[in-house]
Amino acid sequence: MHPEIALLNDFLLVGAALFGVGLIGFVSRRNMIVMFLSVEIMLQGVSLSLAAWGRFHNDFGGQALVLFIIAVAACEAAVALALILTLFHRRCSLDIAAWHFLREANQPPFRDAPLPEEPSERLEPWPHLPPAGARPEKFGEEDKYRPKV
Amino acid sequence: MFDVQTLLILIPALPLAAALATAALGTRLLRDRSHVPVVTALVLSFAASVLLVFQLQERIEERATQPGSSQSAGVEEVVARWSWINVPDAMPHPVDGRVETPGWGNFNIEVSLRADPLTAVMLAMVTCISALVAIYSIGYMRGDPGYWRFFAYVGLFVFSMTMLVSANNFLLLYVFWELVGLCSYLLIGFWYERPAAAAAGKKAFLVNRIGDVGFALGIFLIWTTFGTLDFGGVFQSVGQHAGDWRVTAICLLLLIGACGKSAQFPLHVWLPDAMEGPTPVSALIHAATMVTAGVYMVARCTPLFAAAPDAQYVVAVVGGVTALLGAIIAITQTDLKRILAYSTISHLGYMFVALGTGTLLGITAGMFHLITHAFFKALLFLGAGSVMHAAGGVIDIRRLGGLRRRMPVTYWTFLAGCLSIAGVVPLAGFWSKDAILLSLHDRSGLFGGGLFEILYLTTLLGVVLIDFYMFRPFFLVFHGKEKIPPEAGNHLHESPGSMTAPLVVLAFGSVVVGAYFEWTHGFAHFLSFTPSFECLAQSGHTAIGTADKWRVAAIGSVLTAVGVATAAMLYLGSGKAVARLARAMNVFGLYSLSYGKFFFDPIYNAFVVWPLLSVARLAAWFDCMAIDSLVDRCGRIPKLAGAALRPAQNGLVQFYALAMVFGVLVLLGIMLM
Amino acid sequence: MPDPRHILTLAVLLGAVGLWLMLPRGGARGRAVGAVLGIVALGLWFSQFHGLGQWTADGMFFVLAAIAVVAAVGAVTSRNPVYCAIWFGLSLLGTAGLLLLVGAQFLAVATVLVYAGAILVMFLFVLMVAQPEGKASCDRMSWEAGVSAAAGIAMVGVLSVAIGGILSPSCPAMPPIAPPTQEELAAGVLDPHQVARLGDELFGRRLIAVEVAGTLLLAALVGAAVIVNQFSGRRHDGQQRTV
Repeated sequence: MHPEIALLNDFLLVGAALFGVGLIGFVSRRNMIVMFLSVEIMLQGVSLSLAAWGRFHNDFGGQALVLFIIAVAACEAAVALALILTLFHRRCSLDIAAWHFLREANQPPFRDAPLPEEPSERLEPWPHLPPAGARPEKFGEEDKYRPKV
Repeated sequence: MFDVQTLLILIPALPLAAALATAALGTRLLRDRSHVPVVTALVLSFAASVLLVFQLQERIEERATQPGSSQSAGVEEVVARWSWINVPDAMPHPVDGRVETPGWGNFNIEVSLRADPLTAVMLAMVTCISALVAIYSIGYMRGDPGYWRFFAYVGLFVFSMTMLVSANNFLLLYVFWELVGLCSYLLIGFWYERPAAAAAGKKAFLVNRIGDVGFALGIFLIWTTFGTLDFGGVFQSVGQHAGDWRVTAICLLLLIGACGKSAQFPLHVWLPDAMEGPTPVSALIHAATMVTAGVYMVARCTPLFAAAPDAQYVVAVVGGVTALLGAIIAITQTDLKRILAYSTISHLGYMFVALGTGTLLGITAGMFHLITHAFFKALLFLGAGSVMHAAGGVIDIRRLGGLRRRMPVTYWTFLAGCLSIAGVVPLAGFWSKDAILLSLHDRSGLFGGGLFEILYLTTLLGVVLIDFYMFRPFFLVFHGKEKIPPEAGNHLHESPGSMTAPLVVLAFGSVVVGAYFEWTHGFAHFLSFTPSFECLAQSGHTAIGTADKWRVAAIGSVLTAVGVATAAMLYLGSGKAVARLARAMNVFGLYSLSYGKFFFDPIYNAFVVWPLLSVARLAAWFDCMAIDSLVDRCGRIPKLAGAALRPAQNGLVQFYALAMVFGVLVLLGIMLM
Repeated sequence: MPDPRHILTLAVLLGAVGLWLMLPRGGARGRAVGAVLGIVALGLWFSQFHGLGQWTADGMFFVLAAIAVVAAVGAVTSRNPVYCAIWFGLSLLGTAGLLLLVGAQFLAVATVLVYAGAILVMFLFVLMVAQPEGKASCDRMSWEAGVSAAAGIAMVGVLSVAIGGILSPSCPAMPPIAPPTQEELAAGVLDPHQVARLGDELFGRRLIAVEVAGTLLLAALVGAAVIVNQFSGRRHDGQQRTV
């Protein structure tokens, strides 16, 4: 097989994989920001495909198109984040399922399945500095720190 | 300057213009002056009609002085303005241009008017009565919220009626026949807020439709038989169809139409109810003019009826039955306007009897009676309206009494009308009634009895009844103890001048018109120059001896005296005799029969209205249960489909995205296949 | 040698199950199993690649592709949105490397700058403003994880089949295109001065499009400002929270 065709094939497959994974994220995740990230992943897959096709056709058009995608993605990010913030201010939640006013009049609202109890994470306060010059009262208080961000 | 053609167009055009002007300007501009255009137009129309009569008279005299022209040839003038319908027999096919001749003849209807003595007489009568009634209405309708509407309707009616009597073909006649029916409907239901008025309007309209169906069928048959609808064409070719069953059928169908319009048995039931309309309307439309359209139509179609003697007998019998029926019912009614309505029915019956004799004498007698009847019946109605106006709308003769001193003008004019209708020498009614009796006597004498002998006796009986039933309300209302209904308040007074003036004019007419026409012999002579009557002039039934004339006149006068005397005896005295007589009559059920109007309405309700209503209810039930439910079930299919698909619209962004993904997958799959 | 279609089908099935296991589904366990299944599926899928001919290039490609895809899966499946963003950044780096490999130097740099440098930071910023407490309930629960995983992976499978079909020499739908030779590429997209060539292209042939894109950016800027200002005054909780 011609090496250029093999290269195109491989890059297109990777692009398709990125597109599909982003699609899964967009459809299944309910956090609006994560959904948005998923859309960006889909755009990455498309960009990759376009660049590969541009090389195959020995033309800068593909790359130019990817640049436009980046520009449009930037616009989209600005507007969408503004919208997300506004929506968040209304509901104090990033959950997309909180917004389904466009349903048919007699359809029941979306309800969460009851979530099982999360193994409780101890949310300890951030470490504070002991008074200067004094010995900390208890050593080994690291295990009280918040384990993750 | 005013030649016949101009006059002929002016007479209907003036009322139409006035009606349109009133309809357009009535609410804003004219308001209380809404009568001005219509009254002006009607007076001018009347003047034009009189001029028309004189023009025709001149021609007749010219004809008489000219040597060589036949005496009996008709005088007529036809104005054809434009062609209304023109379907030529041979038509190029719209697609391939081939000329086809279906063979139905050229169907050409022109808007053409004719002037002949019959039309001129009718025009003069119609415009005269309507002008007087319109003047009367100025006072009578004053203050009514529909004042302008009333005059617009009256203008439209006079236009339609004048067009009806001057139309020159059957189709045009039919159109205006319907139009006067419409005006009648509108004016009966003038006070449409009253359920009785609305119902009466509907009843009149529906009963008239029955007659009109017959008329329309008759016109169709005329077209298929004669191939033309023009009066002239039909009447000329009727001689070739003598004895044809189709001519008889045409005549009977036309008679059905005439029965509907002229309230003849068995279609007379609408006229008494039509008294729900304003009294001037009753006087104008339901006594003097529109109801005589049937008489006019039968007279106009004389050549057809002359060619079908059987149909003529039917005309006479229908007229005789109606005359007696109306007179009997009128005896016991208590509503003054209804008495007059039944009297109208009865008198129309007289006219039909006269037309049914089929002689020139009979037909001129019928038309003569039509004219005199128009005068005295309009007078009586307007007098009744005057009483009603004064008495606060009360028209029940049992609640009124002794109004003689309060309303002298009304009293004297009403008396003139009663004497005239009763046929007292030498008032108008005497001459026309005498002419009818004479024509019947003539006919019965000629053929030696049978049908016309019976009819002659019937009409003689009718004469007694007429006198009785007319003087009964007269004595009750104007004589005796003074009875004033509380609705009138305590200021029952004579009506205003605009109402009494027409009464006086009509009373004058009722008194003199008959004598004038009879003594000058002008009427019958003038009418005999109608082209339609040519066929009669040749049959020569008119030789009647002077002795016959005197005998008939004497018999009539004696019977009149008997009737008036009976009424005076019963109703000028105490009421006991009346009650005793009523009880005596009721032994045979006669009183109830008369008071119940021969139970026509219940009979029609039971045998016509109820079965039709049942069928309609059945159809409605079927429609509701079968068809509607089927439609409803069909309508439920999309609803169910919608209910099945509705959960798809759950408002979740991700559901829509997933649906889109599946769509793309399906498309890609199809492309890969 | 098994039929490549079977391998592809197996990879799709494994990938779907793995992703379903990895997606947040409340308290359900099995992420590790899902990860293993996903890696197996990725391996099976990679085995169907043609390779670039040189082992260095092959190595670079597979490493970068693995980074991009695995990081994307991580971004999609993480419970914590902040981790999602970080995984997304990693995926961007992999993509940028792949773009370098395909010869688009400027695009690689621009992706890193614009996405990783600007957009990603903005995401993190908004996340910090909106949800500083970490995970919310909506992050712990996916919407129809199984169906969406199946649909997405099916999309990958269908696209793979389509790509294989289009690029096979026996494809009837496309007229055969002669692939460019190395000389042609060196005179074209792989020119040493390719960034300058790309600039020429953008500001020459595609000037109007560039202007339109610039206008679009301006409009988006104004729009975002208007949206935030318009709605921030009408918050239901009454707190004035400035962004």
